Amino acid sequence: MADRSHIVKSYEQELGQLRSMMAQMGGIVENQVALALSAIADRNEEAADAAARQDPEVDQLEREVEGLAIRLLALRSPMAGDLREIVAALKITGDLERIGDYASSIARRSLRIRMPENQISLSGLRSMGRLVQENLRRSIDAITQQDSNRAMEVWHSDRAVDEYYTALFRELVTYMMEDARNIRACTELLFIAKNLERIGDHATNIAERVFYAVTGDNLPSLRPRGGPASALTVTETMQEPDVR
Amino acid sequence: MTPGTLQGMTQDSMMTKTDPQAAKSPEVALAVRNLNFYYGENHALHDISVDFQARRVTAMIGPSGCGKSTLLRIFNRMYDLYPGQRATGEVMFDGRNILDHDLDLNILRARVGMVFQKPTPFPMSIYDNIAFGVRLHEKLNKADMDARVQDVLTRVALWNEVRDRLNAPASGLSGGQQQRLCIARSIATRPEVLLLDEPTSALDPISTARIEELLDELKEEFTIAIVTHNMQQAARCADQVAFFYMGRLIEVDSADRMFTNPKQQQTQDYITGRFG
Repeated sequence: MADRSHIVKSYEQELGQLRSMMAQMGGIVENQVALALSAIADRNEEAADAAARQDPEVDQLEREVEGLAIRLLALRSPMAGDLREIVAALKITGDLERIGDYASSIARRSLRIRMPENQISLSGLRSMGRLVQENLRRSIDAITQQDSNRAMEVWHSDRAVDEYYTALFRELVTYMMEDARNIRACTELLFIAKNLERIGDHATNIAERVFYAVTGDNLPSLRPRGGPASALTVTETMQEPDVR
Repeated sequence: MTPGTLQGMTQDSMMTKTDPQAAKSPEVALAVRNLNFYYGENHALHDISVDFQARRVTAMIGPSGCGKSTLLRIFNRMYDLYPGQRATGEVMFDGRNILDHDLDLNILRARVGMVFQKPTPFPMSIYDNIAFGVRLHEKLNKADMDARVQDVLTRVALWNEVRDRLNAPASGLSGGQQQRLCIARSIATRPEVLLLDEPTSALDPISTARIEELLDELKEEFTIAIVTHNMQQAARCADQVAFFYMGRLIEVDSADRMFTNPKQQQTQDYITGRFG
């Protein structure tokens, strides 16, 4: 049983089409995130517009992937690895669509930010953005190459994203407490950081689904976690003695 | 079932076995150990070891010629009908090796019922199709026989369809009804094991669904072994699935694991429809 092709060629072609649509969707979403990050880092309005403009295409692809996956389930009665791959595609397409939405949201927010004169450092956000982008790239590679090792790398790397978010949260809250004129910009940046963190989570979701599709085993339900950003409350920080 | 019934192997012991419903069933109904089977010089089954759990459905799948039907036919010693066919190893059932030469095959076949691919009603009335097998093993008065016929026809969900024409020829029934009649006939002798060799391959989807629903109900009482080429049927009906390939047992596992995450590449290739 060396040949791994389906006896029914049209089935093999449909699975190939599903993989190709996933790769296409992954590519667009990856590009959206890159454009959104460029919009923040370089104050690039054109990039921000381009990121948001790609949303309908991603939504359309999501519907097409869902349609094809449901068709495959109904007409081919897939089993084992095929079944896992198709079900994973159904879920991954949702993750990709959400990532696209977050990228659009980041892009739109980037246009609204008016930086105060005492410039807020964006280096932390840029670093977080690079890591999230890298994780997304690896999770999309994991989809296209059906690579469980790559998926595992993303899964382990989500902790670092969480830690970046926690550090950024502290940093931005500090800026806001230092000068009330920072609040508007920092609030937008906080939302952006949260969106990036959510993109990281969806990239990890994708990694988990690819890992299951390829190996048939689930990664542990508890992910490696970074610092609990939500536990770091504003109240605690504001109670620090050196803060007015 | 009284333990040791087959050890006595007498007709009396057959008669006095207890109600299967009340019997305390062992975990494993059929224990196959190092089973080899030969059609003359052709070595058809190679060193098969597998347990058939009591009151569970075990499906056997695999490409044509893989040995799954051969294994099924060993369980009621059907191969004895053909010269040159022989089995070695063990198939333990109720404390006895089914392969033993001194086993009473009439008793064995009453306790291990079989249903075939195509419905095989006897050329007689619906009533007599049921009563015929019962009469071979039990002496029931008319009222008891009537009750037995009604009971088994009810359990295969056929009673309401045939109650007004019990004396009509069974050949007048539809294919699905005939197959349910054959199952009723098989369980009328109160076997412990029911063997089904592709029982729905000649039936329409509605009749197939009825048989599958029936299996779901019957497994509370019987150990069921089913050979099927329909992967979805195995997935729907079976608790345990065994995959055979070229006379060897490649993998046996629960149905959900087998169809979502088989461990062997050959199983994966077969159930996903890839080249063998």
